[in-house]
Amino acid sequence: MENRPILRSALALYTALFIGFLYAPFVVLGILSFQSGPEGGPQFPITEWSTYWYEHIFGLTPPSRVAPLPIGETLVRSLTLAFTTMVTSTVLGTMTAQAFRRRFKGSGFVFYLVVLGMIVPGVLVGLGIALVANNLGISRAWWGTAFVAHVVYTFPFAFLVMLAIFNRFDKSVEEAAWSLGVPPMRTFRKVTFPLIFPGVLSSMLFAFTLSYDEFPRTLFAAGADLTLPLAIYGTFAVEIHPNLFAFGVLTTLFSFSLLTVYGILMSISIHRAKKVAIQEEIE
Amino acid sequence: MTTILDVKNVTKLYDGEVALDGLSVELQVNEYLSLLGPSGSGKSTLLRVIAGFEMSDAGDIHLAGESVAGVPAHKRGIGFVSQGFALFPHISVFDNVAFGLRHREDDPVRDEGDVARRVNEMLDLVGLADLGDRGINQISGGQKQRVALARTLVADPKIILLDEPLGALDANLRARMRIELRRIRQQLGITFMHVTGNEQEALAMGDRVAVLDNGRLAQVADPDTVYNQPASARVARFLNCYNMFEGRAGDDKQFCVGDASFPYPSPQDASIGPGTYCVRFDKIRVAPATAAPRPGEAGVRATFITSEYSGPSITYFFEGQGNKVLEVEYHLSHRQPEEFSPGSEYSLLWSPGDALVYS
Repeated sequence: MENRPILRSALALYTALFIGFLYAPFVVLGILSFQSGPEGGPQFPITEWSTYWYEHIFGLTPPSRVAPLPIGETLVRSLTLAFTTMVTSTVLGTMTAQAFRRRFKGSGFVFYLVVLGMIVPGVLVGLGIALVANNLGISRAWWGTAFVAHVVYTFPFAFLVMLAIFNRFDKSVEEAAWSLGVPPMRTFRKVTFPLIFPGVLSSMLFAFTLSYDEFPRTLFAAGADLTLPLAIYGTFAVEIHPNLFAFGVLTTLFSFSLLTVYGILMSISIHRAKKVAIQEEIE
Repeated sequence: MTTILDVKNVTKLYDGEVALDGLSVELQVNEYLSLLGPSGSGKSTLLRVIAGFEMSDAGDIHLAGESVAGVPAHKRGIGFVSQGFALFPHISVFDNVAFGLRHREDDPVRDEGDVARRVNEMLDLVGLADLGDRGINQISGGQKQRVALARTLVADPKIILLDEPLGALDANLRARMRIELRRIRQQLGITFMHVTGNEQEALAMGDRVAVLDNGRLAQVADPDTVYNQPASARVARFLNCYNMFEGRAGDDKQFCVGDASFPYPSPQDASIGPGTYCVRFDKIRVAPATAAPRPGEAGVRATFITSEYSGPSITYFFEGQGNKVLEVEYHLSHRQPEEFSPGSEYSLLWSPGDALVYS
């Protein structure tokens, strides 16, 4: 590598472009969210810096011709849906992965059956669920049909994460617990679960974020009450104002705080191991 | 003597491969049985079947007179110490030892004071009294071994199965743990079954030694008998202290190996062959190629390769007929070390009475 300046600069350029495409939209969004309001539009130049659109989101500005974003109820719905999806998928994923620790008849078939949920195009799944619901006379709702669609979609992710975790799991600690007279269920609670907890945390994060901004499946399956991504998409149809950008910034900050919580929990669960490694170095 | 563990005709298959082939073995109360076998002989499988981690495909296991068929591992009351120790990495040494007392199904100890008393007693016994608060990753390999043992002992099992418990330790520590194990055993009077691939460990630890070969028992006897009178050529091979010659019965009441022929150890053995002729490493003396053998001595010609000094003894390596490596061991308390020149030919001599012949 050191002796290939052309390759080096090519890779550097590639990396720069990559980072540019990754972050430029977000940076533009972030800057435009500080546009003056209510007259300023979603484009450069910034006529005057202000936090008008942030206030607008929280309904702190005097009424104007720009309608407030319909986020109050939809945000609660989306968070509730993401949370229940997260819990359901993680529990299912962990249990399924646990079942896959022993080879059973038809395990290959079941594996693909589960993974299909993340492979089949979302629009098809959403449409299919809507059709089935109509035929069976089930009314569509975000907490019913859409919830099922979300679980079908996020369950394979949780399952694959847990499968990878169990793959590296040393079975002998469970056997040791059994031989001490501890029954299998209690062994799972007291030994297995604490050891696979980092994986559980990762599947929870996956399931939550995937469900929180899921669009195509929800579009057809949600029924009358919209989730946040649907509501936001709905406002595009009228006119785009910088309040969307302000909201985008807030959502991203929220995601970062979720990631921070994840990171903190993760480091707590491996804290002991780290501390030990350092102590051994000192000794 | 009462039988505490009775394994009858146990067979276990893995994907059609036979791991245990109708194996039977008995364990008496308070006995220490070492189970010696090369890797793949099924010795770990046997322990796992007894512990209840694997189900046997045929046969019966009785523990204190009762069949354990269908009894899950946590209800058997059999302690198990595995090679990797399998300590719980997320809790402290103290909590590891207390784990069984607190969480077991039958008769858990609810009183924390009682738990603490019993755990500390056990940590004391294995010499870890001050390390209760440490994390599992903060202790050394030998200490982990002791924690694993203490964790099993504190639960007061009927039998303890040890699956190559010293395999992960270095030679020095292994020797110390052997002594430690024997002391603990004398103090507590527990029945042990100790699986190992190391012949010295098997001979040193066991009241009896069981030699496992291809899923069957090849010999069960006291260490002295196993060492001096292996039941078959294969057992002799596992003991790793015999030179083995494949050959056939000759015309002149001699055992023929290539162009050489050896007298049979005793008249009863005569006419055994084709078979294997075994001479223990330490029963051979090395003489110059020109020296005449003493009357009645058997011998072969071999070329000296190299030697290996190991403190109390020295092992000389020779190359015999057909590139066969022959070993000669001199115990230095009985014999003086000798200098041989590499590449030169010598006579390896022994008295036929010390040899063993198997068909």
